[in-house]
Amino acid sequence: MRALVIDDSRAMRRIVGGILRGFGYETIDAGNGQEALDALAEHGPVELACIDWNMPVMDGLTFVNRVREQPDLRGITLMMVTTESEHGHIVRALAAGAHEYVIKPFTADAIRDKLDLLGLLPMEETV
Amino acid sequence: MTATLLTSGLVLSVAEEVFAALVDGEEGKLTPWIGAPVPFAEPVVAWVDLAGEWSGRAVLLTERSTADDLARALLRLDPSEALGDEDLVDAFGEIANVVGGNIKSIVATNGDLGLPQVSTTIQDVSGTVIEEVLLSWRGRLMIVRVLHLP
Repeated sequence: MRALVIDDSRAMRRIVGGILRGFGYETIDAGNGQEALDALAEHGPVELACIDWNMPVMDGLTFVNRVREQPDLRGITLMMVTTESEHGHIVRALAAGAHEYVIKPFTADAIRDKLDLLGLLPMEETV
Repeated sequence: MTATLLTSGLVLSVAEEVFAALVDGEEGKLTPWIGAPVPFAEPVVAWVDLAGEWSGRAVLLTERSTADDLARALLRLDPSEALGDEDLVDAFGEIANVVGGNIKSIVATNGDLGLPQVSTTIQDVSGTVIEEVLLSWRGRLMIVRVLHLP
């Protein structure tokens, strides 16, 4: 399975990507929403996208909206991974089409629990 | 405006949670600083703006060498691996971002979080101090400030 890790922080991409690779994912990095759209155009759809909210060029919410406008990307599971933890932000993201919402700071176990709920853990990782 | 909900205890709690989950992978490495603060010889400051109905700024301030080690810890770098200035700015800024985001959820600004900034000039960060917490990360001073912006 492939995952797109979208965050303007290289450190955060490294952390999230490392967790996902530990679960058996192949990961692709993007530094903002536009880079992520470019990556999808180049590599094709992925199973999962982990999306930061606040990024330069194109933020995470705009990326979610853009993905949801494209029928060929409808199969991607969108998981916000962000410091924006106010209720209004969570509602806006889920209304736009995000499937899950993880608030930083997180642990690998928290990511695994979300993936398990979404049915996106490889069989040997399912809890 | 709900900034009055913010206390030094809540700021400490946020910082402890962030460091335990992201930086150290375990609890107990970040504790309250005991005694008078030591002056920084080579300070580094990172901050993120909290916009909305209440406008403020969450600030992390520490010694350059401490920020280097924080970045190394966040990036899980081996001692032999070089840490570039870009790595320091990215990692220290991201720690400020996560601390600031969680403080913002307490203050409930009903707005957005800014992008993290990092500087070696403390004067770049201004505003009225609402809370200030002195912390010890592995025995080294780190200051978390929450400022109110006009």
